[in-house]
Amino acid sequence: MRQLLLICLLAGSAFAQAGKLGAFTSSDDIGAPPMKGSAEFDGATGYYKITGSGTDIWGKADQFRYLWREMSGNFSVTATAEFLTEGNDHRKAGIMLRQSTDTDSPYCDLVIHGNGMAGVQFRNAKGDNTNTVDFPIEGPGTFKLKLVRQGATITVSAARKGSPLRELGHTSSQLGSPVLIGLAVSSHTQAASNTVVFSDVSVEQLAPPAERKQ
Amino acid sequence: MRPLLLTCLLAASAFAQGENLGPFTNSGDVGNPAKKGSTVFDALTGQFRITGSGANIWAKEDQFQYVWKEISGNFAVTATMKFLGQGADHRKAGIMLRQSLDADSAYGDIVIHGNGMPGIQWRSNKGENTSAFDLPFDGPGKFTLKLVRNGVGLSVSIAKDGAPLKDVARTEVTLRNPILVGLAVCAHQADASETVVFSDVSVEQLAPPAGKKQ
Repeated sequence: MRQLLLICLLAGSAFAQAGKLGAFTSSDDIGAPPMKGSAEFDGATGYYKITGSGTDIWGKADQFRYLWREMSGNFSVTATAEFLTEGNDHRKAGIMLRQSTDTDSPYCDLVIHGNGMAGVQFRNAKGDNTNTVDFPIEGPGTFKLKLVRQGATITVSAARKGSPLRELGHTSSQLGSPVLIGLAVSSHTQAASNTVVFSDVSVEQLAPPAERKQ
Repeated sequence: MRPLLLTCLLAASAFAQGENLGPFTNSGDVGNPAKKGSTVFDALTGQFRITGSGANIWAKEDQFQYVWKEISGNFAVTATMKFLGQGADHRKAGIMLRQSLDADSAYGDIVIHGNGMPGIQWRSNKGENTSAFDLPFDGPGKFTLKLVRNGVGLSVSIAKDGAPLKDVARTEVTLRNPILVGLAVCAHQADASETVVFSDVSVEQLAPPAGKKQ
């Protein structure tokens, strides 16, 4: 009886991790935004519907909805993000690496803003200010995003849906392993929520680091 | 005898500052590189020939040759540059804003590396590590660079081999007025020097900041 129970628990746990949240294992609000967020995965379509509120992912602390898994080494993540709600020009959706679920954790992300501006943002040390690189604004739409980590190098690509992915460039990040990897949604205001559908999501483990360049 | 010596010293010092450096007022090595650098301005052609050594502009402190002026507020700087000779792939030349002449000063720059890779680099606070974002590239050439400061925003445009300038990215660096603006050349190697020719150099004061964007 005890063995059967254990098997059932293991099976249940395996199911929850592999199925309920797709490629990811956990979902929560980071930084305690007053409006609660949510994340749902549709196994039939492979769509992730994520609703997040929060002031921003910016400055010294972040507020957003995060859907993540733990990962080590090198990997490639792709996702296509479509905003379902209107809102602040700078509401954000994207792929985020993060040291921890602390609101002021080091992180590095590739986001698309509501107005179609791609951005790379990172906090190098806990509690530090966010660094940012923004790219020319392309106007609202559905965008495919790709973030690849090889050693300390983070390479990002983006494209409007239907156009070929274009490399934006690369930066370095000392986040190390293990690290949290996932999808992030923020509304850029505590007074609203932002709902985003992510499709064509893939998380792929890559071979050991290529040589570090700088 | 002593008054004569003093007069000579004052005259020599005045000569160094009074040298015609076009849009700039001063030149010198930052970070005390072992090999001395030099700046020669040809008023007839408007060309700068800048030779710089130094380990790098990177991490927590910098070594390079700088030609600069003091400036406040918003402005646009353009310059066309080409490396003479061979050298390290990551030798650097470009437009730099800097808080001070200290080796570990806060700064923001747009540089072209010897291999043609454009990079945006910044040190947000004195003594901190450099952050960087490198852009895609297809090899060495003659590059026109434009850097616009608008409040804390630094916008960068680049063109290669006579093509039209294209906006590539924007970052944010908080520097307090007045700041230094100028041209920088670094060999990326303490025992080497690199010479770069800059032409069509302009520094244009712009109107007060537009609303801060983020």
